[in-house]
Amino acid sequence: MSFVSLNIESPTETPVKLTRRALAKQRTRERVLSAARRLFTERGYEGATIRDIAQAAGMSTGAVFASFADKNELFDEILTADYEVIYAQMKQAGANAATIEEGVIGMFAVAYGFHVEQLPLLQASIAVSWTRSEPAERRNRGHLKHIFALLNGVLTRGVDRGELKSDADVKLLAEIIWDVYVANYRRAIFDAWSVEALLSRLSDQLKVILAGARA
Amino acid sequence: MGVRHDQKQATREKVLEAARDLFNETGYEETTIRAIAERAGVSVGSVFTTFASKAEVLSHVMDRRLGELYAEFDRVVPFLRGSTADRLGSIFAIHYEFETRRVKLFLAHIAASYSPSQDPGLTPYGRNLRLTEMLRETLLDGIERGDVRPDLDPQTAIDVLKAAYAWNYRMAACGQASATELSAMMDRQIQFIAQGWRL
Repeated sequence: MSFVSLNIESPTETPVKLTRRALAKQRTRERVLSAARRLFTERGYEGATIRDIAQAAGMSTGAVFASFADKNELFDEILTADYEVIYAQMKQAGANAATIEEGVIGMFAVAYGFHVEQLPLLQASIAVSWTRSEPAERRNRGHLKHIFALLNGVLTRGVDRGELKSDADVKLLAEIIWDVYVANYRRAIFDAWSVEALLSRLSDQLKVILAGARA
Repeated sequence: MGVRHDQKQATREKVLEAARDLFNETGYEETTIRAIAERAGVSVGSVFTTFASKAEVLSHVMDRRLGELYAEFDRVVPFLRGSTADRLGSIFAIHYEFETRRVKLFLAHIAASYSPSQDPGLTPYGRNLRLTEMLRETLLDGIERGDVRPDLDPQTAIDVLKAAYAWNYRMAACGQASATELSAMMDRQIQFIAQGWRL
């Protein structure tokens, strides 16, 4: 499955040589996105208004709305871009692993490494995830589906290698692992844990989770 | 205590009750201190002399609710029977039952505690010590009764259970899942993990 970025105009729609207008439009989007990223990071989702973002980008509110339908879409686009950056690395970590532990820890080492570097933005995205609208939730689940496919792949290969029982409930297992992975972020956010500390805890948790499914 | 103290206490009660209802009806971000004062029938100034911020109001609302919940638990816990997994299932089912009564309030609390602009007055999500203690006692009791492997590290198991418990609320956030559905999901997760700690 490909992970198509919404940040990049698709090649079929974009002429090889960008017109000056298209270039200007692209530059506007980039300016808005970079200002928005900074403000969401500083103030959270609710705390940053479109007006603040426009001002920080040095343009009118109308110009922002010409590129993005609403604040929600703007925020989603930032998260999508981030997902895309880490997805390829997570995929590689999962695919090259010799054991389930190696695959799961490898995948989430990528994610922890990336997100712990920009915790406020992650916090904003977790905060929003609990109260967001239904369309936004659907978009988000689109991203998650790809990550879950990777996780399921790691676990299924573990079943094939005989690490887990052949009838192990891989889907449930993936959900529990995901819950633990996400829940651990609160240690980074509220207790300033390092990536290494998070991974070591995740590794212990994984042992408890996998224990009953071992072949 | 004097009249002033009584008055202050009465204001506090009114504010917390109004805030609880408003957070649940319209959401935390959408609710202003002014709206809380209006609903409580007190002045905006008196809200600010009682609480430092909206986040602090939310923290107190949640603390009070937990107080009610654990009063319920004190009655129930001695009667829990069955395997360790069953007992844990009952503990979580009671939590789901309680929190889904005012689900929007609960979700607002989670969202607010993660916000990067959050006030320091807010208790982080997942810092529920009573729940942690209850799970620990249930697991240790399971070890004592020979239902749980003695080499299980309770803290790690608690971590896993709490993560599954907390993130199941996701289903309530986007799909309006009922307490029964949340408990059913949790039971499957507990049973799965319990396969690993049985002797």
